[in-house]
Amino acid sequence: MSKTILQVKDLEKTYENGVKALKGVSFDVKEGEFLVIIGLSGSGKSTLLRCINNLHEPTGGQILFKDRNITRLNKKDSRTLRSEIGMIFQHFNLIPRYSVLKNALTGALYRTPILSSLFGFFSQEDKDKALNYLDLVGIKEKAHVRADQLSGGQQQRVSIARALTQGPQILLADEPVASLDPATCHTVMDYLKKVNRELGLTIICNLHFLSLVRQYADRVIALKEGKLVYEGDPKNIDQSWFEEIYGESAKEVHVN
Amino acid sequence: MKQAKTLIRCILLDGFIFTFLALVALVVSIQPTEETMLKMGNNVMIFFGLWALGGVLVFILQKAKIKTLGNILFDPPQALTAQPDKHWTMSFWGIELIVAFIVAFITGLNVAHISIYELTDQDGLVGAMKVFGALFDPNWTILPKAILAVIETIFIAFMATVFAVPVAFVLSFLCAKNIMGSNPVSFGIYATLRTILNVTRSIEPLIWAIVFSVWVGIGPFAGMLALLLHSVASLAKNYSELVECVEEGPIEAIVATGASSLQVVWFAVVPQIILPYTAFTIYRWDINVRMATIIGLVGGGGIGTMIMQYQGQAMWEEVGCLVFVIAFVVWVMDTTSAYIREAIK
Repeated sequence: MSKTILQVKDLEKTYENGVKALKGVSFDVKEGEFLVIIGLSGSGKSTLLRCINNLHEPTGGQILFKDRNITRLNKKDSRTLRSEIGMIFQHFNLIPRYSVLKNALTGALYRTPILSSLFGFFSQEDKDKALNYLDLVGIKEKAHVRADQLSGGQQQRVSIARALTQGPQILLADEPVASLDPATCHTVMDYLKKVNRELGLTIICNLHFLSLVRQYADRVIALKEGKLVYEGDPKNIDQSWFEEIYGESAKEVHVN
Repeated sequence: MKQAKTLIRCILLDGFIFTFLALVALVVSIQPTEETMLKMGNNVMIFFGLWALGGVLVFILQKAKIKTLGNILFDPPQALTAQPDKHWTMSFWGIELIVAFIVAFITGLNVAHISIYELTDQDGLVGAMKVFGALFDPNWTILPKAILAVIETIFIAFMATVFAVPVAFVLSFLCAKNIMGSNPVSFGIYATLRTILNVTRSIEPLIWAIVFSVWVGIGPFAGMLALLLHSVASLAKNYSELVECVEEGPIEAIVATGASSLQVVWFAVVPQIILPYTAFTIYRWDINVRMATIIGLVGGGGIGTMIMQYQGQAMWEEVGCLVFVIAFVVWVMDTTSAYIREAIK
């Protein structure tokens, strides 16, 4: 029985414009787990991930990371928390003009002294680490190519390497394959699975395609209009659950 | 709410047009002396009185559902019902537009003293031909002096640009709404800086040159300072607009790594803006070379000062040589800077 790494309790988030993105969501995440969050666009998935690494401040409830409450942190603690939680994004969000290696090295910014980082000096240890992770996602030979020369799938792999260079304890993935073609989709998901298996890293991932969910997730939770509507094994999501989560007129599409 | 906004805009615009027409009619019919025209207090009262009347007229027209020019411009598109059988010149707003333009044109002819007679006057033509002819017959013996002077001008512009860049670079972040808009204190700094820069920019470098030539004495240094001030204000505006349209994605990604604010700016914002910054900087140097010439006319040093000296003595052949040198340098700078800016896009 593995330990619980993250506990989300009655989490609420109301934006300044009055939109209620999360209306009391609770769930636990076990260490080393591949947890997938599904739900329609606007169901609160992205907000949930951004609350976990403090990019957004929740307006209610608690998040316990290794039994420590991480909501309402001050600026410094919030930076420390972010350094312990990696994140990858739908649009990769690499720095286009930087080389692949330098992009991966931005994952080490937290522990690099500000002045050194401004002059682009990173420690040899961090460089080795970054190269090592680029190797892990199979893109080491492109280390000195500019990031904007890469294809979408390759860019997403670089962004995985960037997140890993942080040395995180959890990896958040916000729709990591939503802007990729079906073939590349599987490559990126396979690398995420590899990271999950080989490094034992806990992954929390937002996904759209149920076929991918069944293939990769250990466990799945579903959000609908800011509330948790399903929690369990991905194989147990049948037609009625599908309609419950996505609405009655929804049809499942497959990614091959 | 929206209707009230449109009404106010209509009162301002259409009211002003009516006021203008009424004022022209008033001046034409009364033919006031220059003395009456200079009575500021009275005339301001007449102006605003007429504007108030114009406003009332607009209000009545609005109530009568007659579409004025203001309605055409400010009404939301769906509020305008099409009138296919009516040509626009037959509508109220069409006639308003045409009448206002014709009256403004005729007034302009008089105010600008436009006269075919002066343009074709014999004595005037001969004088102009003499100057023009001399300009095209330059005295090349002063070319070495002209080249030294234009080098001075180029370096005045260069130094002004070099000193302006770091200042404008720092200011650009403080003047960018997306960086400063988050809390009241930083927004206050943003608004204050923007205002100061706008005022600085709206004062011509020519005026700054006069101020600085009194301060540090006539010469290249005064010219450099004038250009520096104007460059800082202009570049800060150009730069900050670039900062305002950076993509949020990379910023979010770098924030998510736990980087500090300074690192976020350096790693996520700066790479996005560095090339457009360079392009604007080169363009600014190019503009500064042209402005340095003008500033020289009021004692800012360089080739402009030289022109001033020769034209004061009516030595048009020498002025011709200087004009040629300036034209050549401006052409080279213009072409090069356009080429470089194109290359780094």
